[in-house]
Amino acid sequence: MRKNQSLTGSVDWPLLIVVLLFMAMGIATVYSTAYNDDHPSLFDFSMVYGKQVMWVGVSLFLGILVFLIDSDIYRKFAVPIYGFSITLLVIVLFLPAKNGAHSWLGFGNLGIQPAEFAKIAVAILLARVLSDLNVNQQNIRTVLLTNAILLLPMALILLQNDAGTFIVFTSFLFVMYREGISYDPLILGLVNRIPGIRFKQTWLGTHFIPILFVVIFLSITTLLLSKETITLGFLPGEEFPGFYGLVFFLFIFCLVGYALLRLILSKRDRGRALIIAVIAFVLSTTISGAVNFGFDSLQPHQKVRIELFLGIIDDELADQAKDGEDYNRNRALAAVGSGGLTGRGYKNSMLANTRTGHVPESETDFIFCAYAEEWGFMGSVVLVAMYIFMMLRIVKIAERQRSRFNRVYAYSVAMILFYHCAVNIGMNIELAPVIGIPLPLFSYGGSSMMSFSMMLFILLKLDSQRKDVLN
Amino acid sequence: MKYDGRKYVIITFITLIGIIYAFKLFYMQVVDDSWKLRAQEIAEKRREITPPRAVILDRNGKKVVENKTYYNLMMCEDEIVDLDTAAFGKLIGWTREEIRERFKEIKTEQGKFRNRQTGKMESNYRSFRTYPFLKEMTADEMSTIVPHLEQFPGFREEVSSMRNYPYGNAANILGYLAEANAEEVGPRKFYKNGDYIGRAGVERYYEEEIRGKKGIKYVVLDAVNDKVASFENGKYDTTAKQADPIHLGLDIELQAYGETLMQNKKGAIVAIEPKTGEILTLVSAPTYDPNLLVGKKKIKENYPDLVNDENKPLFPRPLASAYMPGSTFKTIQSLIGMQEGVITENTGIPCNKSVVGCHNHPSAQNVTQAVQMSCNPYFYAVTRRIIHQKKSKNINEDAAIGLGKWAEYMHSFGLGKKLESDLTGISSGVIPDPKYYDKWYGHNNWRFSTIRSISIGQGEVQLTPLQLANVAAIMANRGWYITPHVVKSVGDSGPLERFRKKNYTMVDRKYFDPVVEGMRRCVHEPGGTARRARIPGITMCGKTGTVEDQRELKGGKLLKRPNHSVFICFAPMDDPKIAVAVFIENAGGGGGTWAAPTASLIVEKYLNGEICEQNKPKEQRILDAKLSLWE
Repeated sequence: MRKNQSLTGSVDWPLLIVVLLFMAMGIATVYSTAYNDDHPSLFDFSMVYGKQVMWVGVSLFLGILVFLIDSDIYRKFAVPIYGFSITLLVIVLFLPAKNGAHSWLGFGNLGIQPAEFAKIAVAILLARVLSDLNVNQQNIRTVLLTNAILLLPMALILLQNDAGTFIVFTSFLFVMYREGISYDPLILGLVNRIPGIRFKQTWLGTHFIPILFVVIFLSITTLLLSKETITLGFLPGEEFPGFYGLVFFLFIFCLVGYALLRLILSKRDRGRALIIAVIAFVLSTTISGAVNFGFDSLQPHQKVRIELFLGIIDDELADQAKDGEDYNRNRALAAVGSGGLTGRGYKNSMLANTRTGHVPESETDFIFCAYAEEWGFMGSVVLVAMYIFMMLRIVKIAERQRSRFNRVYAYSVAMILFYHCAVNIGMNIELAPVIGIPLPLFSYGGSSMMSFSMMLFILLKLDSQRKDVLN
Repeated sequence: MKYDGRKYVIITFITLIGIIYAFKLFYMQVVDDSWKLRAQEIAEKRREITPPRAVILDRNGKKVVENKTYYNLMMCEDEIVDLDTAAFGKLIGWTREEIRERFKEIKTEQGKFRNRQTGKMESNYRSFRTYPFLKEMTADEMSTIVPHLEQFPGFREEVSSMRNYPYGNAANILGYLAEANAEEVGPRKFYKNGDYIGRAGVERYYEEEIRGKKGIKYVVLDAVNDKVASFENGKYDTTAKQADPIHLGLDIELQAYGETLMQNKKGAIVAIEPKTGEILTLVSAPTYDPNLLVGKKKIKENYPDLVNDENKPLFPRPLASAYMPGSTFKTIQSLIGMQEGVITENTGIPCNKSVVGCHNHPSAQNVTQAVQMSCNPYFYAVTRRIIHQKKSKNINEDAAIGLGKWAEYMHSFGLGKKLESDLTGISSGVIPDPKYYDKWYGHNNWRFSTIRSISIGQGEVQLTPLQLANVAAIMANRGWYITPHVVKSVGDSGPLERFRKKNYTMVDRKYFDPVVEGMRRCVHEPGGTARRARIPGITMCGKTGTVEDQRELKGGKLLKRPNHSVFICFAPMDDPKIAVAVFIENAGGGGGTWAAPTASLIVEKYLNGEICEQNKPKEQRILDAKLSLWE
């Protein structure tokens, strides 16, 4: 009966509280954004806020269910859960498209997105496979198996035309990295075919994923900023190319990074830290510069294609530019930027609400700008800090697990949240391309609310039972 | 564990993203102000509210120009549901083909602009915006459509205000409005696309006084530019203010009468109140109904016809057309002669027809008789004496000195220079000065005999009917004038400063009496040329003019057309209330035949309010006359 006693006793309260806080703040923001004078009640289920209240209710109910179920079933039934999820992903492909994507499994008026739940299924199966494997023995089979678990749903999701969720699945790569999956077998398999070369290990293969992430992040940021100009409040009239601003920030980051490292490191390592900081700056500037000037030398139609993908321009641009107006992202940026230090105040937004409609999707994918416009820099920074806290808390939870299954699962949750937050908030502040994925526990939407809740409640359940598990 | 160190990579990533995002948020929200401006641009719009233009009243307070409500039939494509074009066409009286054409026109022609992306000119038509489908309809036209509009979702009525002219007269004084052009429209300018601006006449000259003050309403807009709420409860809003009425010196009844008299004739009537310089009537014949040029639709319909009309109704003859003044000019010649001392009041000069042709009359014994009988040789002699005063031994140089002085006198009568009136399109006429002839004949290569036709108001001398009327006013005032103007007062502010100033001529008051007496005799004495201008009970002073219209065509052939008929007058003689000039092109006969009776009818109508029984046949004769080689 120890299990039952631990139902509440060993729950990770900080995580649970922050989850509930996000749900409450999300409802408050959806209410303010979509508020309609004719339907003032928060519980008016004909309005999105009423529905959001309902979805949160359903999600909490699911959470309680999760708590009542023995967490061992996930491990046991990892393969059937994965199989069921893949089946759903296949089924939706044959259903009529909604908003241009075959991602909805409809039940009457309601619908769910199987892709949202596939994340949980993949997390569980990956946890199961990695905990069963002896990863200390790196071989091609390990790499291929783990990647295959990932690639199957990703391929199906790509067929659904849902680029956002597709990208989110790459977050599992970080989990695999943490667990020691190395791409070295693949890289060595290629490199060592060249006569005269026989590496035992490559730095690139071992740290393939973080390197890839940094390169992609830098490239995208460079492209997003390449068209912008930077103006400084204290230097009116002066305009700098966005690239210079990026280089400047890279420099500051390396400097700050080095300064922080100096505080931690012993004297012996300080010299190495300096070298790493310099190399990091030079490398990142080089990559960024190469992308920046490489992009400039592309043909115009190639540029447009890339810009379309990144959401620097979108299809609606052609239409909206005619009015001398700007497109969605610009609207979102204006909403965020106009928030100022303290914001316009709750329910007082000018741009990001459904009444004026200047920012489309202001209750779903662009909800961050609605929040930022109302609460300003103070509120936005608190929200960002809360998300960072949540992720770091989950990493902490992950690291304290005895079972490898639990740890992999926890890291999966942390990294999925990380992707969602980084991309969603990033696209509101021109640091990420416009990819339609929701802000976890905050954006309006049943599927994402339910899937994130289940994901987190499973984690809380696993964590609360961590002491029961031996391996 | 072997890979435990890697958790720091992940922690670093998460933390780094947090820091970067916090930095970026700080930059966007606190440092960089441009997004705040952008947000304001997007959401807060200044809505300008245009007040109706000022009403224009005549000297008796009658509304000459007012504002009338018109209706537009608006359409919004997104709201249109299954349009039954046949039924809709029946309602508005169009064929299906016309309706389809109109839709196409709206879509392709609406607000063209250059697309930044493609560099091509494109229409900024949006299916969610509302556009006028039918414009500028009257209440009557609209009333038949409105009850049925419910069947056609996407269509609705909209009210707009436009000019209306209850009298349909004085088109050339009042002018007309047209949509402001690309140069007049701008974000910082008063006018926005579709605003109307005065294009001629009073509407143009007093544009700033008439247009009023625009109201500004700050509103918060939604994405399709529909108003959502007023900004800060209207704290910064201002209300639109219609300008004060414009009071004209014009007598609209007299104007209407003058226009009727001038029907089927070309020419001009100008009547001035001598004491004030206020223009009582300014007829340009032929004229047009100003209601023809109200609104885009009517302008498009009627303007080409008016422009192409061979009789040129849009041309403001009283202001812009310069004619030879003929014998009316002799009044000024005698004044200058006396002032210069080359003749006295009692100088007699024989009527020597060998110099210039004249009609049969006894030789003039003094200035009064010369004016009364309009003796051509007399004024040849007077003008020669003015020009050749023997101030130089060289006869040509002497002529230049004399003509220079003469031209100065003429300018002091408001001739040969633009009268600084408040009307647009004013011509200066021609008073030749030495430079003028130097250009023609070479420096000092001319003398009086070369230019003698100016003595009797022919040749190079040209006056506008407005100047001619002003000469009549100078005669009435015995030596001064107030620049003729149409607007008596803007609101209650009274006339403009420059319309309060008396302009004195270079001729002394005392020399006017004999000339004025001559003018009286013209009308009232036997042997006067203007007997047809008599009005029972009113002492009128007038001077006729008969202007030959002949010019050499290519090949040396002489084109001789009927004479122009000219008349200037004022009345009553001792307390002048009205000064009139009438010019009728190619009327035939003399100044007394057509112009004099026409002027007298104007005077009689103004002073007595009606035409007496005795003069009714005269009125009928003028009304019936079809003169001026009328097509």
